Amino acid sequence: MSISVELTYDMGKALGEQRIEFESAKSVKDLMQLVREIFLERGEDFEGLSRLAAIAVNGVLVNHRIGMKTPLADGDTVVFVKAAAGG
Amino acid sequence: MIKGYAGRILRVDLAAQSFAFEPLDEETARLYIGGKGYGTRLLYDLTEPGIDPLGPANPLIFATGPLNGSVAPQSNRFAVVCKSPLTGGIGNATCGGSYAYGMKRAGIDFLIVNGRSERPVRIEVAGDQDEVRFIDAADLWGKGSYETQRILGKKMSHAVIGPAGENMVLYAGIVSNERIAARTGVGAVMGSKRLKAISVSGSRKLEMDDPESFKKYTKEVRELFSKHPVLGSSMKRYGTGAIVNTANGRNIIPTRNFKYGHFPDAMKLSGEYMEDHELVGVKSSCLHCPVTCGREVEVEGIGRVKGPEYETLALMGSNLEIPDLKRVNEWNYQADDLGMDTISLGASLSFAMELQERGMLDAGIQFGDPAGVSELIDDIAHRRGLGDDLADGTKRMSEKFGGQEFAMHVKGLELSAYDPRGSFAQGVEYATTNRGGCHVQGGSMYMESVGPLTINPQNLKLKADIPVLMQNTACAINSMVLCIFTSYGMFPAAIHAMSPNSLPYKIMTTLFENSGPMMRLAMGMKGRPMLWWEKWLTYITGQTFSSGHLQEIGARIFNLERMYNLREGLSGADDTLPQRMLNESIFPHMKSGHPLGELLPRYYRNRGWDSNGVPTKKTLARLQVRV
Ligand code: SF4
Repeated sequence: MSISVELTYDMGKALGEQRIEFESAKSVKDLMQLVREIFLERGEDFEGLSRLAAIAVNGVLVNHRIGMKTPLADGDTVVFVKAAAGG
Repeated sequence: MIKGYAGRILRVDLAAQSFAFEPLDEETARLYIGGKGYGTRLLYDLTEPGIDPLGPANPLIFATGPLNGSVAPQSNRFAVVCKSPLTGGIGNATCGGSYAYGMKRAGIDFLIVNGRSERPVRIEVAGDQDEVRFIDAADLWGKGSYETQRILGKKMSHAVIGPAGENMVLYAGIVSNERIAARTGVGAVMGSKRLKAISVSGSRKLEMDDPESFKKYTKEVRELFSKHPVLGSSMKRYGTGAIVNTANGRNIIPTRNFKYGHFPDAMKLSGEYMEDHELVGVKSSCLHCPVTCGREVEVEGIGRVKGPEYETLALMGSNLEIPDLKRVNEWNYQADDLGMDTISLGASLSFAMELQERGMLDAGIQFGDPAGVSELIDDIAHRRGLGDDLADGTKRMSEKFGGQEFAMHVKGLELSAYDPRGSFAQGVEYATTNRGGCHVQGGSMYMESVGPLTINPQNLKLKADIPVLMQNTACAINSMVLCIFTSYGMFPAAIHAMSPNSLPYKIMTTLFENSGPMMRLAMGMKGRPMLWWEKWLTYITGQTFSSGHLQEIGARIFNLERMYNLREGLSGADDTLPQRMLNESIFPHMKSGHPLGELLPRYYRNRGWDSNGVPTKKTLARLQVRV
C-alpha cells in the first residue's frame, strides 16, 4: 500500500511523470515536503508550478477539511487540482 | 417593432408544402426575449397536451434572439424547441455554427416547422424574396451530416440531420457546421417530419437602437475577452477538455458508468494532453467568436475534424474506462456525422457495458475495451439489432433489461459529466432542470467544484440557492441567444490569479458560502446594465436589462417550462437523481450519496413552489406566466 500523488499536467511535464507513489506520510503537510524535495532534486520550481493548484485528498479539497494538517492513510490519492472551465 | 428583432415568424407546413410569414408578438418578446424563452411560449400555446413527440402535431421551433445577427462574440447560436421524445417533457437544445446568423439575415426570428412530409424533403428559405422552396431530399437521405452540408454548399447556412435523426434515435441532434444542437432528441423530431435540412439566406441587417455604443462596447469586450484567463487563454489552448483533470481531481468525472468519480488515466483524455499529442489546429466553429474553443484533430481515413468536447471525453472516455484519445476522436466524429448527442450515447454505452458485466444483457462490449464500440454506434444510428434498444436511451433500456438503479438519467435525459455526489448544487440542478439531467441549463458545478472560486461542494450551504441563480441566468442567456460559456468571463482575472491555498481566497469563499440572503436579495434588484450581455441587449433593443431584469425573465421562462412539464404529466416525483447517486458513496467520509431529500424542499421554497414542486398561483402571477 502507498499514497499516490497525481500532479497537474504542467507539474507532471516538468518532472517527466504525472504520478508519484510514496510509501507513507502522516499528513498533507509532510507529503508536500516530500514532493517539494523531488522537485528540488530535479531543479524544478515546485512553488511556481503548484501556486494555483489546490490539494485534494480522495477528491475533497484540504481547504474544506483541516488544511495541511489533514491526515493521510494508506491507499489515499492526493491530487493537485487547478481551476478550469469547460462544458 | 423592438430593435434587434427581424419582426417576423415563418411557419412552414410540410404536409401541405405551404408557408406563411406572421409578425412577431412584441409583448411576448418583452416577457421572454427570444430563443428558448419565446420558443417555449410558442410550444406551450401551439400544442394540445399529450401530443406524440414524434407525431406531426409536435412543432419544431428554430429560435433566434436579439443578439443573433450581430458581431457580438459568442452570439451566433440558435435554440431549437419542441416536445422531447426522450423525456416526454420540454425539449430544447442550442447550437453554434452559422445558422443563427443566416436566419437573421433571412429576416426570420422564429421558424416553426409543422406537419410531416410524405417523402424526405429539405427546405430553402430565401429571405430577401420571402420565398420558401420545398425540395425533394431522397438523394440526401441516409447521408451523414457533414456530407449533407458539403453537398448543400456554402452559399446558404444549414441545419441538418444525419442518419440518427432520420431513424429517430431518441437522442439525435441537429447539426450546423461542426456544431450540434445535441440534447433531448430534437433531431429525432426533425427526422419524424422527414425533414433532412433547412437552408437559409438573406441580406437583411440587424437594426439596433444604439449601434454606436454597441460597436464601441463590443470592441472593449473583445479586448477584455482576449486578456481573460479562461475566454482568452485556457479555452483557446485546451478547449473544454481543460476541465478533465480538474473534474478528475475533484472525484466528479464519470468513470465506469458513474460507479466512480476518479479515473487514474484521465490525464490522457485531457485538453492539455490533446494539445501535446493530437491537436493539428485550433479553430472557432462559431461565427464571430474570438474564444475559438473548437479543437481540430486528425482522424485516420477522414482527415482534420473537430475534436471532442469535455462531455464526450468524459462520457466516451473515462466513463467507458477507455483512455484512448484517438478512439474518442474517432467516435466523436462518427457521432457528429451520424448526428447524435455524445452524452446520451456515452451513457447508453456505459449502461450496456454494466448490464453486460452483470450478466443482464449480451451487449458484446465491455469496460476498458474499445472493441465493438464503433460498430455499435453505427447500429444505434441505424437502429440495427441491439442498437435499436440503445437508440432509445438508458431509461427505456432499464425498463426493458432492468438495472434502473444504475441507469444514469434524470427525467429520461442522461446525466452530463459531473458526478453530483461531489457537487451537491449540481445535483439539485440535475434533479430540477426541466429538460432533465443537464449542466448547460445552469452550471452550478462551476461555483462549487471546478471554477476559480469554489465553495465547499459537500455541505448544504447555498446548494438550493446556486441552482436557482444559475438556471435563471442560463434561461436568459439561451433566450438572447448567447453561448453559455460567456458566463465564464464573470470571474475577473484577479480571482483566477489567487492561490486557492491563500488566506484571501479562504476569506472570499467563506463570505461567498454565507451569502445566501444577500444572493436572494441581489437577484431581485433591478438597476443598470453591468455585464456585457446586459449592455448588449440594452444597446440593441433600447430596453434596460440589468441582472435583476434577467433573473426575473429567466425565472419566468423556467416556470413556464415547468408548467409545460406538469401539463405533459411530469411531476415533483421526477425531480430526482439516479439511485446510484442517492445511495452509493464514492467519498470515504460520506455514508451514502447526494442529500437531495434535504435540499429539494429548500429549492422548491426558493422557487416559490409548493411542497409538490408546483409553482404557486402567486409565483405565476408575480412572474406573469400565463397558463
Ligand atoms: S465559446 Fe466556443 S462554443 Fe461558445 S460561441 Fe465561441 S466557439 Fe462557439
